[in-house]
Amino acid sequence: MFADSSTTFTLIALTGVFAYSFYAVLVAGQLSLGQAGFASLAAFASTQAVPDEPMFGVVPPLAVGIVVGMVTGAFAAFVLGLPVTRLRGVFLAIATLGFAEMIRIVLINQSWTGGAQGLSVPKLVGPPEAWIAVGVIGFWFLRQGGSKLGRALAAIREDELAAKAMGIDVTRYRLAAFVTAGAVAGLFGVLWVHFSRFADPNEFSFAFAVDGLVTTVVGGSTFFLGPLLGSGFFTAVPELQRAVGIEAGWLRPFIAGVLLLVVVLFLPDGFGGLVSKLGRLRRWGGPVLARGSLVPRSPMPDRTMDGTSPPPALPAPKLPPPGDEVVRMSGVSKDYGGVHAVRDVDLEIRGGEILGLIGPNGAGKTTLVNILTGMTEPSAGEVRVLGVRLGGSVPAHRVALAGVSRTFQHSKLFERLSVLDNVLVGTHRVAPSTLLRRMLFLPSARRTERQVLASALARLERVGLAERATTPAGDLAYGDQRRLEIARALAAQPSLLVLDEPAAGMNHVEAAELSELIRTLADDGITVLLIEHNVRMVLDTCTRVVVLDFGEVIASGEPDVVARDPHVVEAYLGTAAEGEAELAVETSAHEADGSGEQ
Amino acid sequence: MQQIVNGVFTGSIYALFAIGFTLVFGILHRLNLAHSAVFAAGAFIGIELAENAGMPIWLAIPSVLVAGGVLGLVIERLAFRPLGGRHDAHFAGLISSIAVGAMFLALLQARYGPDTRRFAPDTFPQHRYDVLGVSVSLLQLTVVAVSLVLMVGLSVLVARSRLGRAMRAVAENPHAARVLGINVDRVTAATFALSSALGAVAGVLFALSVNSAQLSMGFNIELKGLAVIIVGGMGSLKGAMVGGLALGLIEVFAVTQIGSSWRDVIAFGLLIAILLVRPQGLFGSRKVREV
Repeated sequence: MFADSSTTFTLIALTGVFAYSFYAVLVAGQLSLGQAGFASLAAFASTQAVPDEPMFGVVPPLAVGIVVGMVTGAFAAFVLGLPVTRLRGVFLAIATLGFAEMIRIVLINQSWTGGAQGLSVPKLVGPPEAWIAVGVIGFWFLRQGGSKLGRALAAIREDELAAKAMGIDVTRYRLAAFVTAGAVAGLFGVLWVHFSRFADPNEFSFAFAVDGLVTTVVGGSTFFLGPLLGSGFFTAVPELQRAVGIEAGWLRPFIAGVLLLVVVLFLPDGFGGLVSKLGRLRRWGGPVLARGSLVPRSPMPDRTMDGTSPPPALPAPKLPPPGDEVVRMSGVSKDYGGVHAVRDVDLEIRGGEILGLIGPNGAGKTTLVNILTGMTEPSAGEVRVLGVRLGGSVPAHRVALAGVSRTFQHSKLFERLSVLDNVLVGTHRVAPSTLLRRMLFLPSARRTERQVLASALARLERVGLAERATTPAGDLAYGDQRRLEIARALAAQPSLLVLDEPAAGMNHVEAAELSELIRTLADDGITVLLIEHNVRMVLDTCTRVVVLDFGEVIASGEPDVVARDPHVVEAYLGTAAEGEAELAVETSAHEADGSGEQ
Repeated sequence: MQQIVNGVFTGSIYALFAIGFTLVFGILHRLNLAHSAVFAAGAFIGIELAENAGMPIWLAIPSVLVAGGVLGLVIERLAFRPLGGRHDAHFAGLISSIAVGAMFLALLQARYGPDTRRFAPDTFPQHRYDVLGVSVSLLQLTVVAVSLVLMVGLSVLVARSRLGRAMRAVAENPHAARVLGINVDRVTAATFALSSALGAVAGVLFALSVNSAQLSMGFNIELKGLAVIIVGGMGSLKGAMVGGLALGLIEVFAVTQIGSSWRDVIAFGLLIAILLVRPQGLFGSRKVREV
């Protein structure tokens, strides 16, 4: 009886380790089923490496196996990840699944693995080893949650494009998550065979991987304890059934199926979601979703507000001096099929300017912004932004890191993250990495976290959203969402702020406040590019205005000069109207913008 | 030549399985992992009807078709409809369909026990024909013919019928379809019913061809089905058909050229290669989807 319960106890921990290898990628929104393959490779690699006697007399054989296994798993994930992490969703899942199957078949066909007969290995893993392992891994993910890495992964999961716009190197971070998953799966593989005393390639099958995934999802893939909760559940269900006297056979799998269905249908974020809803544990750093936070458990900034110990500000990147070139576009064109969205545009933006970009629907404004922020590659022409020459292989996050922050025409917030977390993601460009220091609880990590937090809160206050810091971003009113996007963009301390229709959907009072905010930003030395349909607001706010029509610049200059330009009036009103036709009419342009591709 | 015939034979079952799989994905953007359980259920129900109810096989196969349709309705009702528009519906559907699949298998086990089941030896006439030096059994011909008829029928249904038009509208944009007065729930249910009907028939044909049925028979083909619908292009009926036949042929040739133990490496190696070179598959249109 005792032996039996100790086996169960070990199983919970080991299944938990396996589930963490799924968790590692799910937090970044990736669905991988290759973990069984990594585990299998690692397990067999370790069977070759584990010595009979402690190495150098002190290093236990299992430790050698673990190191070999984790390195093998991580390396396999890296090699596979280089090509496949650019796949998304089920495509990634199936590619990784195919890889795992290939590993299985290759291993079966090797003689050193014992083929389909498998290999006997010494029993080295009992409850203590298993629980130490799961404890260490769980701790890792707990501390990762509130780190810069954790925030970046959550951002990628919620909205990749917005993450790129915040300067997050999506490819690299996705690969990092993938390699982490490989290492954890490797650890599991080693522990598993040295627990079951038997290594069989067929054990690490498709069904095995699916079980691991199910465990993780049921446990909750957004809360660091989720995998362990899931593994506890799935290990406990058969035990409980046995305890209450349900016979083996069909009834047990049936009940397990029903329970799984119930959990999936009624607990959207698994047990982890339930736990973090219950509250208190939320503040333990890991939980990420709404109301919880990516906010590390650190002294709340209240103390800093009463002025007793203001944290030193994050070092601000240098802004380009007024008048210096910030953006230079020459001869830029963009064609979509036969449509010329942007034609031969020359545009220059200088430091300290508030440049307004207006034009009727479909004039190519958003396309131009996408080119400027590196999200769309121009068909022709040269673009230089803050010293970065765009085109070809320059990814969008490089532009963001150079100091360009943007908002989107249709808000692209991380909707399930809290308002504060959204802004914290925005600090990506300026915040130092804290992951390793957090693992060691170094005081300097806490100091950094306080700086980052204070910086984010300051941005929220600036747009008037500090009160809503803990609300999920998706629950905000429309106008507030637009302001939150601005706060998030500001958190990167940009040199150039690009606002794509920030006043859309705002009433005129809100628009006036926004206009005021933009002017104060310019006073701080931030260069602003404002795309707006609200022409009155643009004329009131900007120092210079460029008008785009059918992809071409038709006018450029001081606001009141542009407003009287006959070409502009014609573009807006459709006829060569009398000269006095005043442009301040809030054009009919508030309808959905046809060129809104992003 | 004999190899090609054998390849087409296996491939047509893969294709029939995959076409139902891909139908749900193409129209509803959901991966239904209970499809393999339906496959197994089709086999067991077919044996039940032929052996216990004494039904002739030509009547049993259409009955399995109907039974599969009913299973599809159950899957939709239990695993997918309750998810509604949840933000993670795409993902939760994977898991809830696994759960429903497990329940189906448990029920099969309750009825038939864990052992392998077989058709009686005389269920299907044992005719063989020699055509141009190639030996073909009546069974093989029937399997290929039934698969082809069903697949072509499905394609015509989707392309021509009123239901098919509604399905394509839902695939394009469920909200707009609803606004236009299409009963999206009913179309969804019909899609699952059609998909599972074909999956179940694939199961009974498979059981006939190897003359055995096990509870676990669906897992292997599910894996291959996934490969087929990726290679053919997610949601592409033509792709699933061609992909299934191609996989059958590749397997047969891999066995003769390199040996049976390496067979699946070829299939999965191709799968990964195609994903990397052409993620939308051979016949798919590009559609990037986040989980």
